[in-house]
Amino acid sequence: MPVSPQHLVLCVDDERVGLRVRQILLERAGYRVLTAESGPAGLDLFSHEPIDAVILDYSMPGMHGGEVARRMRDDKPAVPILLLSAYVGLPSEVMALVDLSMTKGEGAARLLEKLGSLLPA
Amino acid sequence: MNLNQFRYIMGQVFVVPILALTVLALALAIQIKSSADTVQQIQSSDRRIARVTLVSKLIVDQETGLRGFQVTGDPRFLEPYRQAEHDLDPVLNRLYERMHQGPTANPQQAVIIAEVRDNYHNWKSGFVAGMMKAANASTELRDPELNMRGKQQMDSIRADLDRLTDQLNQQRVERIDRWQRQVKLMLRVLFGLALAAALLIGLFVRSRLHMVSAAFRGSMEEAQRRAAESFRSEQELRTTLCSIGDGVIQCDLEGRVQMMNPVAEDLTRWPLAEAVGSPISAVFPVINERTRAALESPVMKVLRLGQTIKLANHALLLRRDGTEVDIADSGAPIRDKDGKLLGVVMVFRDVSLERRSQEALIAHEKLVVSGRVAATIAHEIHNPLDAVQNLLYLIRQGGSSSETKEYLRLAESELTRVTEISRAMLGMHREATSAVIIDLRTSLCDMLLLMERRFAKLDVHVTSDLATGVEVCGYPGELKQVFSNLLANAAEAAGQGGTVHVELLRGVPHVTDTGESVPPGAVVRILDNGPGIAPDTLEKLFEPFFTTKGESGTGLGLWVSRGIAAKHGGTLILSSQLTGPDRGTIAEVYLPLSQSDSHVTPEIAPDAAPDLPITPDRQATRTVNASLASPPSL
Repeated sequence: MPVSPQHLVLCVDDERVGLRVRQILLERAGYRVLTAESGPAGLDLFSHEPIDAVILDYSMPGMHGGEVARRMRDDKPAVPILLLSAYVGLPSEVMALVDLSMTKGEGAARLLEKLGSLLPA
Repeated sequence: MNLNQFRYIMGQVFVVPILALTVLALALAIQIKSSADTVQQIQSSDRRIARVTLVSKLIVDQETGLRGFQVTGDPRFLEPYRQAEHDLDPVLNRLYERMHQGPTANPQQAVIIAEVRDNYHNWKSGFVAGMMKAANASTELRDPELNMRGKQQMDSIRADLDRLTDQLNQQRVERIDRWQRQVKLMLRVLFGLALAAALLIGLFVRSRLHMVSAAFRGSMEEAQRRAAESFRSEQELRTTLCSIGDGVIQCDLEGRVQMMNPVAEDLTRWPLAEAVGSPISAVFPVINERTRAALESPVMKVLRLGQTIKLANHALLLRRDGTEVDIADSGAPIRDKDGKLLGVVMVFRDVSLERRSQEALIAHEKLVVSGRVAATIAHEIHNPLDAVQNLLYLIRQGGSSSETKEYLRLAESELTRVTEISRAMLGMHREATSAVIIDLRTSLCDMLLLMERRFAKLDVHVTSDLATGVEVCGYPGELKQVFSNLLANAAEAAGQGGTVHVELLRGVPHVTDTGESVPPGAVVRILDNGPGIAPDTLEKLFEPFFTTKGESGTGLGLWVSRGIAAKHGGTLILSSQLTGPDRGTIAEVYLPLSQSDSHVTPEIAPDAAPDLPITPDRQATRTVNASLASPPSL
C-alpha cells in the first residue's frame, strides 16, 4: 500500500542496523530510499539527488543532526526534515529548524504516519 | 662586656687605690723622716746647751770652791773644785770632739769651745796654780795681780760660754722653726696628696663603675628583653597549641604522655592530669577502620624509625568513653641541637566531618557521572529498541520465511545489546554495601561498552590491552566511576581523530621515586595522545573544584577518583608529555590485588593486537563485544 511511489526519502543515521531496518520498512511502505551513515555523506546525497523528504538522526559522530539540518535548509529550504533522536529534550534552535521530530522507539507506524504528513498525497 | 673584662676592671678598681695610698704613705714617710731628723737636731742642740750649761756650772763650782779656799785657806773648800775639775775636762773634750768632727760638727762652735778649753787650761795653770803655790807657801792668797788675771781669764771663759750658749740657743730656735715649717709643709703636702689621691680614686672608680654599670644595664636590658621574648614566644606557642584545631600529644622516649592540648584531651576523652605519665597506647589506642586490628601508635613508630611519619589513613581512635572517632595522625621526633632524640610529638585530628563531606561530594560527583552516563544509555538503548520495533513491524507485515528469520536474528542481536548495556548500567549503579572481588577486565569492558558511543561521537579511536584474571577487592561502582572519569578525560583530551589506549596489567613490586615500596598489584593505565597537561596545571588537577572544562565540568572527577583509589588502598597518578612522540597524558590507577588472587597469570595477557600500545584499529575495542562488533549481514 504505497502512499506515493515516486517519493524519494533520504535516511541519515550512523546506526547501521537501525538504518538498514528503517530502509526496508520505508521501501515496504512504497518509498524509494537513499541511506547515508554520516552527516557529510547525507548532505552530499541531498544536494545531488531529488530528495523529497529527510529522516535525520540527531546524535551522530562528527556532525550532529542539528548541523546537518541547518545545511540542508541552506541548500533546499523546501525539503521537509523529520528529526529522529534517542534523547528527549533537544535544543530548541534545532527543533525550530526541522519540520517534525520524534523519539526513537515510538514505533514504525508512528514514523510512517509522521513522514506521510510531511509529504503531499 | 664579658666576664674577663669585668674582672679586669674590678682588678683596676682594687689596685689603683692601693697604689695611690702607697704613694701617699711614701710621701708621708719621707716627710716624717726629715721631720725626725730635725727633731734629732733639736735634741742635739738641747744636749749641747745642757753640756755648755754644765761646763758653766762646773767652772762656777770650781771658782766658788777656790774663793772659799782663798778666803779660808781651808783645803776642804777645794773639794768642789777638785770634783768639778775631775768632771770638766772630759765634758770639754767631748764637746770639742762633737763640734769638731762627725755628723753634727760645727767649726765655729768648735773654735769657741777650743778657746774656752785653752782659757780654762790657762786659768788653771796660771791663776789656780799660782794660788795653790801661794797657799802651800802660806803666802798671801790675795795677790791682786793674780786675782785680776784670774778674773780676766774667767770673764773670757764666761763670755765664750755665753756666746756659745747664745749660738746654741739661736740654732735651736732655728731648728724648731724649721721643724715647725716642715710639719706645716707636711700637713699641706699630705692634705694635697690625700685630696689628689681621693679625687683620682674617686674619678677612676667612678669611670670604671660607670663602664660596669653601663655594661650591667646593657646585660640587664638584654636579659629582660630575652626573658620577655621567651615568655612571649612561650605564650604564643602555648596559645597556638591550645587554639589549634588539631590534637597534639607530646611523649617522652618511653612513649609516656608528657603534654597534650585541650583538643587532644577532648578527642581522647582523657584529662591531661590523668594522661600525663600514662603510656601512649593507653591514651591513644588506634585500630584499622576496616579490619579493626590494632595499629601501631604513631609515637611508637616514630621512636622505632626515628623519622617523621605522615598521615595514616583509615585509623579509628578508641576513646576512653568507649566511642570511636575517625582520625588522621602524624608524628615527628623532637631532637636537641645535637640531633639526639628527646621525645615525640604527635598531631592528629578528627576527620569524621571531613570524611562525611567527602562522601557527600563523592555522592554528588556520582550523580553527575550518572546523569552523563544516563544520557548515553538512553541513546544506547533507544537505538536498538527502535530497530527492534521496526523489525517487529516488518515481521507483522509478513514476508518470506527467510526474511522473517533474518529480521528475528537482527532483533535478537539488538536485544542482546540492550541487555548488555542495561547490565553494565546496573553494574555501575548498584552499589555493594561491602567490598567484593572484582574482575577488573570485566569492569573495564563494561565501561568501554557504555562509553563506546561517546568515543564514537568524539571521533576517538580506542584500543585496549586487558590482562585476564586480575582481581581486586573493592566497590565495583566506585571503581567504574574512576574508569569512566579517566576514560572521559582521555577521550576529551585526545579530541577528534585522537586515540585512547587502555591497559590492564599486573604490576611488579617496585619502589617509587618518593621511596615508597609498592607491592604487586593491578595497574590500569589509560593513555591518550592529546596535547598533554602543563606541569602547573597537573599539580592542581587533584584539587576539588579545579576544572579545565569550564561549565561542563564539576571539578571533582579526579579528586573523587583519587579518593576512591586511596579508599581501595591504591593510588592514582597522572603524568604528561607536552611534546615529542610520547605526547599525551597517562593516568595510572594502582590497586592492591585481592588476597585470594594468588594464582599465577602472565604479566600482560595477550589480549590485544601485538603492535601495542596504540593501534588505530577500532576493532580492538570491538573484540570485547564480538556480537556487537560484527556488522549486520542483511
